[in-house]
Amino acid sequence: MKSVRWQLIAAFAITFVFVAPILWMVLAAFKTINDIYAIPPVWVPDFTYLENFKLLLSENWQFLLNSTIVTLSATALCLAFALPCAFGLVYFQFGAKNFLADWILSTRMMPPIAAAVPLYMVFNGAGMLDTMPALVIAYAGFNLPFAVWVAMSFFRNIPKEIIEAARIEGCGWFQTFRLVALPLAKSGIATVATFVFIFAWNELLLALFLTTREAKTFPVVISSFSTVTKTYWELISAATIIQILPPVIFTILMQRHIVSGLTMGAVKN
Amino acid sequence: MAQTTHTGTGAFARAKLEENDRAIKLFFIAPAVIYLLLLSVFPFIYSVYLSLYDAKLTRMDRKWFVGFENYERLLSDPLFLKAMQNTAVLTMSSIILEVVFGFLCAKVFLSLREMRTGQVLRSMAILPMMITPICVGLMFSYILNPTLGIMNYLLSGVGIEGPSWFGNPTFALPTVIFINAWQWTPFMMLLMLAGLVSIPDSLYEAAELENAKWYHIARYIELPAIRDVILIGIILRVIDNLKLFDLVYVTTRGGPGDSTELLTFFAYRQDFRFFQVGYGSAAAVIILLISIVVTTVAVAYLRKVEK
Repeated sequence: MKSVRWQLIAAFAITFVFVAPILWMVLAAFKTINDIYAIPPVWVPDFTYLENFKLLLSENWQFLLNSTIVTLSATALCLAFALPCAFGLVYFQFGAKNFLADWILSTRMMPPIAAAVPLYMVFNGAGMLDTMPALVIAYAGFNLPFAVWVAMSFFRNIPKEIIEAARIEGCGWFQTFRLVALPLAKSGIATVATFVFIFAWNELLLALFLTTREAKTFPVVISSFSTVTKTYWELISAATIIQILPPVIFTILMQRHIVSGLTMGAVKN
Repeated sequence: MAQTTHTGTGAFARAKLEENDRAIKLFFIAPAVIYLLLLSVFPFIYSVYLSLYDAKLTRMDRKWFVGFENYERLLSDPLFLKAMQNTAVLTMSSIILEVVFGFLCAKVFLSLREMRTGQVLRSMAILPMMITPICVGLMFSYILNPTLGIMNYLLSGVGIEGPSWFGNPTFALPTVIFINAWQWTPFMMLLMLAGLVSIPDSLYEAAELENAKWYHIARYIELPAIRDVILIGIILRVIDNLKLFDLVYVTTRGGPGDSTELLTFFAYRQDFRFFQVGYGSAAAVIILLISIVVTTVAVAYLRKVEK
């Protein structure tokens, strides 16, 4: 029993180390500028003080909206391409199958910076720089390998007999996919979608050079609050809360799937 | 399979159906493959092409073929060499920290896994890894700020004068490594936890009967059992660390001096700050080559584990 108590103390200490920095930033969002700079620090702020949020959103709500639109569209586009492909790679028989799956996985490992200049030139040539469709296309593409692989691991969990039964009953591949496979892999698809959403939501590098004003995403705006001459902590802290809210909610709701998601189905828990 | 095997026209009908079948299969798989070809393979090849030219992003109509000159310059550019070195140090040190602390954390949460409190604490402790990297960077800039940060205030309470964590060339890279490890230790922990849970209790009981010490258990039972999981984790972390950009972009911007210059950040600056896209592309190609080596190993390994 004694050892359990030590384990519990250790668990509390570990959790503190991983949560305290986040919490400290959250507290800052409710402080006045003076309180943020105060030493000794103001430990507990007045949570009814919402000026930081008002100031932040009054000038930047449009970019938060951009982020939401871009992320949701990219997720939808990504799934539209990834799901049929994953289904095919699991159920169709053809020679290059394993090679194709490996090739798709290997593109996930490629560093985005190596595609940066060509992407910039293509979107520049198409007059699509600083537009949301450019970001949507890029985000959907960069998350495609991940989505295909994780979706494959979910399709594989559907008993083969069910798919075969549907085929024998006379379902074409389209019907089998739409009426049998998709409903059965529903929770898996939700997991893939959430992951793609979070990756696109957190992305900075591509957004930095593909957008300048109109189509800026929220992370780009947040990074601009920290300049060489001045750092706007009151805005950064408020923006951080808004920015990390979706990932935090996701982590709490879907923690069962995080390991298999991040390892692309290689590790299950 | 829905196939017709009537006499006479049977063979013809079947051939027709199979052809139809192939078209449908193509329709499922081809769009994603074409998307990937256009969006990643083509840009990568184009980057290789650009890396052989002296080109400026602002005047792309005028560029000169220079062969491997960009690569030669890179390999004698002190800043690039420093970026290579920093990336290697960062990758190795953060992964060592993540594995060691991840294992310790996993052990703690393993013993508490049946307990509600343990489960709740675990789901809180894993928050860092999904949080937007730039927010993590800014969070620690705030905490470690020499004038208003809480870290140095707490340190001064115990009589230590905290340094300027990001501003001091000695501390800057270790600080970035520490933050990176802070964000990703929970990932390693979860991975190892998934592996540890699958060890049968009988093995632990046998070890207890033989009076094995905890380090014997770790060495001979636990580590072998989770070897695959750890390797997968390490591969994914190496690949992610080669791409690391956001964290440095919002904290040190490569500084002070060149002390936190990283490969991706170097390439980004050449491309979009100095517009030297030939030179920047050459740097990107080198990152790409390193990634390909790691990826080849990784894909082969993931395939093996799949089976």
